[in-house]
Amino acid sequence: MGPDTIVLGVVGADCHAVGNKILERVFSDQGFRVVNLGVMVSQDEFIDAAIETNARAILVSSLYGQGELDCEGLRERCLERGLEDVILYVGGNLVIGKNDPALTEQKFRQMGYDRVFRPDSDLAEAARALHEDIRQRFHALPVA
Amino acid sequence: MPADTDTESQQPLQEFLAEREEVLRTWSTGAEVDLEEGIAYQLSIPPSRRFTRVLAEADREQRVLVQPRAGVALVDEHIALLRHLQGEADLLPTTIDAYTRQNQYAEAQKGIDRSLQAGRSVLNGFPAVNHGLRQCRRVVEAVNRPVQVRHGTPDARLLAEITLAAGFTSFEGGGISYNIPYAKKVPLERSIRDWQYVDRLVGLYEERGVRINREPFGPLTGSLVPPFISHTVGILEGLLALEQGVRCLTLGYGQLGNLVQDVAAVQSLRELAEEFFRLRGFEDFQLTTVFHQWMGGFPEDEPKAFAVISWGGAVSALSRATKVIVKTPHEASGIPTAEANLQGIKATRQIVSMLADQVFADESRLAAEVDLIKSEVRHLLKAVLDLGQGSVAEGAVRAFQAGVLDVPFAPSIHNAGKLMPIRDNQGAIRVLDPARVPLPADVADFHRERIQERARFEGRKPSYHMLIDDIYAVSKGRLVGRPR
Repeated sequence: MGPDTIVLGVVGADCHAVGNKILERVFSDQGFRVVNLGVMVSQDEFIDAAIETNARAILVSSLYGQGELDCEGLRERCLERGLEDVILYVGGNLVIGKNDPALTEQKFRQMGYDRVFRPDSDLAEAARALHEDIRQRFHALPVA
Repeated sequence: MPADTDTESQQPLQEFLAEREEVLRTWSTGAEVDLEEGIAYQLSIPPSRRFTRVLAEADREQRVLVQPRAGVALVDEHIALLRHLQGEADLLPTTIDAYTRQNQYAEAQKGIDRSLQAGRSVLNGFPAVNHGLRQCRRVVEAVNRPVQVRHGTPDARLLAEITLAAGFTSFEGGGISYNIPYAKKVPLERSIRDWQYVDRLVGLYEERGVRINREPFGPLTGSLVPPFISHTVGILEGLLALEQGVRCLTLGYGQLGNLVQDVAAVQSLRELAEEFFRLRGFEDFQLTTVFHQWMGGFPEDEPKAFAVISWGGAVSALSRATKVIVKTPHEASGIPTAEANLQGIKATRQIVSMLADQVFADESRLAAEVDLIKSEVRHLLKAVLDLGQGSVAEGAVRAFQAGVLDVPFAPSIHNAGKLMPIRDNQGAIRVLDPARVPLPADVADFHRERIQERARFEGRKPSYHMLIDDIYAVSKGRLVGRPR
């Protein structure tokens, strides 16, 4: 079995590119096959890429504050298009202004994201969590 | 030799006016714009609210002007925000939201509606096109400082039409600096062409006695961009603007963190721009500079953020920039509250005032760094202008195609992204690998030697890991990304 494929990108009209380039590098180094869509990616572009590459996870970044508008509905759209098991991660400065991170996490968990990351998250740790989430959802042996 | 009115690079007036009609039809609010009425309105604005006047006075008095960034979704809230800031700020902004920057006016409208429902702004700026001319005039009339449009828009034609007619007296951006760092797929020839339109419009105002300030966006990606790259882009955009009739330019530079390099960068930027503008036949222009406080990642902890802000304020004063764009203690989280924004302005004003009568003392090191940047920029600009065979615009397009101009960490697919910057042992940005960007051989050697000095000190090879450490260093409390 080869490396797990993940789709990476910055959602909406956001052009913050630095973190995206670093994420590509770090997740590749941590053993993933990374399909990096770069900046300004629509929800459908994420889903198209995930379907085409049989990706296990979609990693959505948003740094410019309008993530609240851009991220809602992605889980429903994935289900509509037959991506029932795909893991959704989201991270960055997800809402306008300095907010309680716990409330932001709650808001995005309710939208259907499996994990929510702050902009200063440890990337190696995030990669370990992703390996574990993929193992549990896709590779765990059925209970006898 | 191009003269002060450069008809060769200008579209015939009739064609421009025909294009205007189309531009004004791209969103309903375009219909409110009438050029003659806009000129008459601009002529009625008192000098105290004109960017060019305030810049000229500060330049004469060697004073650093302080300007924040700010913009929210709704008009009344935006006015309240600017009024909250104007007591401490010399110049005011109106920062435009990201949907408007991509000409997604229907999305911006959703953002306005959602902001009304939520009772807070869910947009990261002010959607000026959707609000239209009359609402924009309420903004400029509600404050007692000049107001500038700050954004990141590859095609800003309609935004310029509406905001200039509405009485904004300065407009940030340019065909390169608002494409390469701000777009993914927009062809450079397209954005340069659309910005020639904006500059031509500013030129038409200028012809009628209305001087509008134009400010190419200096910091580009704000991520370890060597001064010679951003200077070259700024001077090219200055030339492109002059060709279209712009006469008041503010060239910008984003703080990198090493004191000598930063002071040398501002000084050399102004001198190089003068040199190249005159070399290309332009004599009549008003030139000033802007220093952007650190544009990279900020510490989350607010006292630490204040230190970064204050250091930027100090260097802006020592570098004799005409104005400084300030950050806020909320920078690590994105958009600040009005209060946090005001705090950043106050911290900056305090230190700028304290340093107003002091000069940077280390003359010999400064002179060496100024000479270095000048030799780099002259070498690179010559290569770009040669590629254009006389045309600045074509030179810029071909230079990016060839990787001769290359901006680190840019999102655009039209940027090579091969040049590799790294900090040297004292935190100055040097180039480990210039890729296809031409540098004189001795200069390229100097850069590599300075990076090797750091590599020996740290006992590791220069690599992408070192670069990633540099990207995160300031937010983690250092300038140079030392191994952990």
